[in-house]
Amino acid sequence: MGKLPSTLLRRPTSLYTSPSTSTATTGPSGPSSPRCLLQHQQLRHATFVLRPRRPYQFTQLVQLSDGSTFTVRTTMPSALYKSTKDSRNHVLWQPTEKSLRNIEVDEAGKLAAFRDRYGRGWDTEEVPDEEAEAAAAATQTAHVEAKKAEATQDQQDAAGEDPFDSLVDLISSYSKFDPNTKGGKSAKDAARDEGKKRR
Amino acid sequence: MAGLRGVSRPARSLPLSQLSRPACLAYPAYLTCSRRSVSTQAAESPAVLRDLETDSTLGAPQLSPDEKRQFKPWKRAADRKGFGLPGSRYQFHPPKYNRGPLHPIQSPPSSDPTARDFVPGPFNMPRLRQTYQATIASDIMTLAYNHIPPGTPSREQPERLRDWDGSSEYHKNRPKRGPRGSPVLPLVEQNITFRNIPEITEVTIASYAPQAAKDPEHLLVARTILLAITGTTPEITRTKSSVVQWGIIEGQRAGVKTTIHGNAAYEFLDRCIHIVFPRIKDWKGIRATTGDSSGNLAFGFTPEEVALFPEIEVNYDMYPSKMIPGCRVFVKTTATSDRQARLLLQTMGVPFYGEIRN
Repeated sequence: MGKLPSTLLRRPTSLYTSPSTSTATTGPSGPSSPRCLLQHQQLRHATFVLRPRRPYQFTQLVQLSDGSTFTVRTTMPSALYKSTKDSRNHVLWQPTEKSLRNIEVDEAGKLAAFRDRYGRGWDTEEVPDEEAEAAAAATQTAHVEAKKAEATQDQQDAAGEDPFDSLVDLISSYSKFDPNTKGGKSAKDAARDEGKKRR
Repeated sequence: MAGLRGVSRPARSLPLSQLSRPACLAYPAYLTCSRRSVSTQAAESPAVLRDLETDSTLGAPQLSPDEKRQFKPWKRAADRKGFGLPGSRYQFHPPKYNRGPLHPIQSPPSSDPTARDFVPGPFNMPRLRQTYQATIASDIMTLAYNHIPPGTPSREQPERLRDWDGSSEYHKNRPKRGPRGSPVLPLVEQNITFRNIPEITEVTIASYAPQAAKDPEHLLVARTILLAITGTTPEITRTKSSVVQWGIIEGQRAGVKTTIHGNAAYEFLDRCIHIVFPRIKDWKGIRATTGDSSGNLAFGFTPEEVALFPEIEVNYDMYPSKMIPGCRVFVKTTATSDRQARLLLQTMGVPFYGEIRN
């Protein structure tokens, strides 16, 4: 805040050592003396020390929806702020909390009747097709079984060797292929696609 | 006196005659036993605790309405005014101007309460900062730990600046050229170690209100809103260049911005993450493609989302609702790459969505 580092401002020692200043001090009536003095004098204008502008801030107690409290400094004058919706009761932050899930309650069967009549075109969320899912599950189980059989054969071949004998194998088995990390659309394209989806 | 040296310091201050007496009679057990334990001390030092009040203030009887009516602190203060400091009393006023380190009159350091640039505080420990220090920092360090066996030769960093080929005599002592294609030399990602853990440096909040050219009220509203959100006085920005199609002229006052550092930055982020983001309808998170590839991430709020801040919401009627601007938030971190910065914000509770670039 208006402070200059002191290293920039050296003591003007040259004023006492250099011959030009000595001539200037001895002969003040000389034509070049004022110029010489100006050259060697330290030039530093005064800097105004600004008073920082600080809008008033209150100390406020914030209570989240789960009852936890903490203090904040805020421009809001109320002493206590109770929040009704925050990260403690939001699905995005509490994915395991079942009560926060948006589960359809259809006790009277009205929704089912509506769907029978008009189809699923009005659903906000896409419901996965049950038959396709079942088929996928079946193929997956078959695949898994085949793999198991292969693994057991391998084990027999390896004569009791541990599949995870080295730590590197264990670690690499966890790393999965992530299509996201492989680059993709530019920000502009992504924004355009998103706009399309919304429409 | 060799025997005295073995005795503890408080015992040494006692007169010798007392020392010569049998120890168990002269002073309490905790001075004589070689090993002190809390359980033995607690029973034997009631003298220290005798000053403590046993009854709590919560148990005190409540004031009657009459007593409450008679309690007038403002009146007491007004009556006391006669005894205040006389106006002629000397008071220290720090100099208005800094005239350099060699000047005989020096202003006090900014930590001095009399200094002109003194800022009181801190008044609280922000929750997010405490969380960062207690858990997030060590978590990030552990997550990003990369074991290098001792004795491994360090990998040579390839030269990023291009050399001159020396075909001309004039290439001697010429500074090296920058990378091909772009004039900017991107940052090199540094490993996260115990002394290089990314943290939040500052948060800049900017709001662009080009309608201010026609109606300067927009600027006032934007300024008030940023002040309410951040607790600092924003500065007014001007348009960089004129674009005819958008109707903006270079140098027009068309926005406000403010930068908050340290505790204020942490508190602002905390409020964004835990109070504002959850209230946004159908919010997926911050788009993961954000970032300037040197560890600074940004996100934005639409005017409707700005109105969700508790400071705005508490007196929403004060602002003309059509003039409330959106704003952009730039989070500056000490991370040297976007993925490290994202890791920091993710551990702080910011969800990201979409594809990840770098």
